[in-house]
Amino acid sequence: MKRRIMVVDDSRLVRVQLEDVLQGTDYEIAAHCRSGEDAIEQYAVVQPDLVTMDIIMQGMDGLDAAEIILKNHPDARIVMISSLAYDDTFKRAEAIGARGFVDKPFHQEQLLKVFGQALR
Amino acid sequence: MNTFMTREALEQILDQALQDVTEQTAGVRLHQGDQPPGEDLCTVHITFDKGFGTSLTLCADTSLLARMARNSFHEDTVTQEDLEEFSKEYFNVLCGKITGAMYRATQVAAHFGQPVFYHGRYEPQGQEVQFVLTYADEQSEGAQLIHHVPCVQETQAALNET
Repeated sequence: MKRRIMVVDDSRLVRVQLEDVLQGTDYEIAAHCRSGEDAIEQYAVVQPDLVTMDIIMQGMDGLDAAEIILKNHPDARIVMISSLAYDDTFKRAEAIGARGFVDKPFHQEQLLKVFGQALR
Repeated sequence: MNTFMTREALEQILDQALQDVTEQTAGVRLHQGDQPPGEDLCTVHITFDKGFGTSLTLCADTSLLARMARNSFHEDTVTQEDLEEFSKEYFNVLCGKITGAMYRATQVAAHFGQPVFYHGRYEPQGQEVQFVLTYADEQSEGAQLIHHVPCVQETQAALNET
């Protein structure tokens, strides 16, 4: 059975890119939320195995959204996918309980490695 | 943004990032040239925060951005909305690559906000062009990556206020 991923990113392009790199793997995209607010609402409905979360989005940013999801669902597995690959961003993501960080543009090998670690 | 590094080093980072991200994201190879984009162009703009006060602008032929968007979305045609969405995400990733490389070189983090998309050319207020990198693809479609810095008068005025 495939692992279900909820993609949180305001760009449709990221969903297309994720679909490309996840083709033929043990993962499938179960939902695509285009804002942090939407992700908070949808998490309980979708009940994904893993969430990929962008950081820079219109409205609530991905770090705040991840923090709220993890507060409401402590067992949530969230991987940040962002172009903001800095120590301070890594530290905040780690502090709120994100299971990994992938910087854009991403590669299949790197993505699958981080997903695997996040789901251990 | 280049207070912490030479202009040449910054140009090299911008050039490498643009070529890598364009090929990886859209499958298009750009090379530096001297032919600017034509009249039908679009602009994407990002401002850097944390006191840098600089910005990056990409002006590109609409046809080039549309082709890159079609490649990325795997679609034969793209809407204006797709074009804008692609351009913003592409530039967001490009600027992330640039600031990441700068961070590795200087240990100074340059965060940036949401990219803004314009049809036509956009000139940021209160800033002047520091340098322009001009590119073309194999179909002679063009793009320019423009680094803006605060105008000298604006900088002086800000210093006088403090």
